[in-house]
Amino acid sequence: MILLQSHSRFLLQTLLNRIQNLEKCIELDHHWVEFDDVRYHVQVSMKNPHILLLSLSLPTPPLETVFVGGLPFGAIEAIKAAYGVIVQILDPPRDGFNLTLKLNLSKLPQDEDQRHTLLVKIASVREVVLGAPLRVILKHLASRTVAPDIDQFVALVHRPNESFFLIPQAEKVTVVFPMRFKDSIDTVLATSFLQEFMESRRSAGLSNAPPCLWSQTPPLELKGVTDDALSANAGFVTFVILPRHVEGRKLDRTVWNLSTFHAYVNYHVKSTLSITAPFVCPDFVCYREVAVEIIVCSEGFMHSRMRRRVESLIQALNCAKPDQEKTKKTPQTRSFKRLVCDVNAKVDI
Amino acid sequence: MDPTSRPAVVIDNGTGYTKMGFAGNVEPCFIQPTVVAVNESFLNQSRTSSKSNWSAQYSAGVMADLDFFIGDEALTKSRSSNAYNLTYPIRNGQVYNWDAMERYWQQCIFNYLRCDPEDHYFLLTESPLTAPENREYTGEIMFETFNVPGLYIAVNSVLALAAGYTTSKCEMTGVVVDVGDGATHIVPVADGYVIGSSIKSIPIAGKDVTLFIQQLMRERGEKIPPEDSFEAARKVKEMYCYTCSDVVKEFNKHDKEPGKYIKHWRGIRPKTGAPYSCDIGYERFLGPEVFFSPEIYSSDFTTPLPVVIDKCIQSAPIDTRRALYKNIVLSGGSTMFKDFHRRLQRDLKKIVDARVLASDTRLGGEVKAHPVEVNVVSHPIQRFASPNLPYMQACHTKAEYEEYGASICRTNPVFKGMY
Repeated sequence: MILLQSHSRFLLQTLLNRIQNLEKCIELDHHWVEFDDVRYHVQVSMKNPHILLLSLSLPTPPLETVFVGGLPFGAIEAIKAAYGVIVQILDPPRDGFNLTLKLNLSKLPQDEDQRHTLLVKIASVREVVLGAPLRVILKHLASRTVAPDIDQFVALVHRPNESFFLIPQAEKVTVVFPMRFKDSIDTVLATSFLQEFMESRRSAGLSNAPPCLWSQTPPLELKGVTDDALSANAGFVTFVILPRHVEGRKLDRTVWNLSTFHAYVNYHVKSTLSITAPFVCPDFVCYREVAVEIIVCSEGFMHSRMRRRVESLIQALNCAKPDQEKTKKTPQTRSFKRLVCDVNAKVDI
Repeated sequence: MDPTSRPAVVIDNGTGYTKMGFAGNVEPCFIQPTVVAVNESFLNQSRTSSKSNWSAQYSAGVMADLDFFIGDEALTKSRSSNAYNLTYPIRNGQVYNWDAMERYWQQCIFNYLRCDPEDHYFLLTESPLTAPENREYTGEIMFETFNVPGLYIAVNSVLALAAGYTTSKCEMTGVVVDVGDGATHIVPVADGYVIGSSIKSIPIAGKDVTLFIQQLMRERGEKIPPEDSFEAARKVKEMYCYTCSDVVKEFNKHDKEPGKYIKHWRGIRPKTGAPYSCDIGYERFLGPEVFFSPEIYSSDFTTPLPVVIDKCIQSAPIDTRRALYKNIVLSGGSTMFKDFHRRLQRDLKKIVDARVLASDTRLGGEVKAHPVEVNVVSHPIQRFASPNLPYMQACHTKAEYEEYGASICRTNPVFKGMY
């Protein structure tokens, strides 16, 4: 797995499961939490087995972001556009959640493929809701206009109490991510990763990818943002999104990739040996997984290296053992000194 | 926000299946086979090519590192292409391939549960016989690689007891009979503490039932393609097997009404895709019978499960024995055969009653012993680790780990306490 998928696996599984046994009355009540503190709750009651209540709670928005009625701007319209008749927005939402959707499963399209696409769309509700404002701005970019009534920069929430910034212009949209990490080791790894990430943009296969910059200090465009919102311990990453990155179907991928950039970096720092760079390549027509030559830096990789080393040492010790026993049985002509040398040589391997 | 306010992530790694989800829910989110499919073709390729081309070799390593699957996806991948090798990271209840295990956890966390490990406490399980070193390894991976804020490694049998734990009835005394896919343990627990010296294990578990069924079907000459026979036997075990009360009677029943008892199994050959079918006969009840008369399966181990349970309780401290007989809890997939608990209860009761009778006659009828109550229960719905169990306080935290190192995981609090 290189990129995070936009749909929640468990939600999709639950929905598919429900559709298959629509007649069976099952009581369902399930909570779960995803990265960036997005919480889900799914409920089905015995009385109405074809009604499914899906609640979503979003990360706490920082002060500088615009939230209308607990949702980012444009979210309600995005939900209506994406789901149509089968979804009804409940007002007020369930206690402790930002949004509650009432899904009427009996209204799903009969066609197998269409239904599956719609279910995947429902399972990616998080992308629809959290990515709504980003989508609005990028759509304007696709038509090379700037949305009216928009400030010089827009702050969008992506993690609890953290936001990233957009500077919309007619020809390009600049996206700035302040990168913050809790753990000091993570910070160091992430910093070196991001620098390599920037370098990798120069390799031949990625010339169509959005230009990407990393800097220790906030870029000058963000003058006027409070210091609090710009305190980042792993520097700032800037992407410049051009109209060709948001044409047609590429828009969805770009929106999702941008809104989960932090989670993406976090995942790769934690676990994989290497960072591949399809992320900076939203030119998905020629989508290729380009391995970036990066310092092998992830924590998971270091551990497997360390374990392998310990194993090889243990193996060397084990190799030395039976020889000792054998030599006890057959002392023959070998001198003690040579014997010791032999054992040492084995250990060195 | 404080990680304790979010539900803890629960990952129960078994030999056969891994159950993962969030605390507080009735069911786990995912139940997946514990298997990793790694693509090693990249590595082999590069080894044969010239050494000077190190960058190609390097990126091959990179791709191999990313190109792996777990669970059902791994099984389908390995079936459809030859490039993937299956690795089972856990054998007989013990982790033995830590690289594969780490990859497995990584996929569980990031791809299946999709949570940020820094945000949640983690509850993992281990078998009661896990070595302290293994527990340290687990702690190391969790704290160093995934940066979890807190970790608790529970003994899975104690969790099974805790599944029946409600606020009204705090019964934490009982014997847990945990029959999984790769290991069978009988663990006496008194007031929440494991009586370590009395733990018994049996070398017969779910996998052996599958192997036995496979053997029976092969000997009868059913036409099952050899590459699919283990999987088919597993499916037969999961879908059709039941426990009988008396083998001889059951044989007669089958012979009298074959139409009623003999089932059919239809499968598809994995390589050619052609369908095949076969009959399922005596193995329906002979499979689970392995636990009650092991001599039909192996000659190495011939003590039936009820006798082992009885021995286990007899070796526990005398004041706990009655309470232990009273609460025998079944857990693990291989106890889910129909009427398994009834058969177990009947056989155990027989042993106990015989002993009581013997002691009564020895004493000459002057003192009469109370009859011993034997209860075997299986929880139909296991509450998936309720959030306010006392384990939250016993968690190892990241701060502790940084202060003392992996040795904090060496001891498990449930083994301390009384004995």
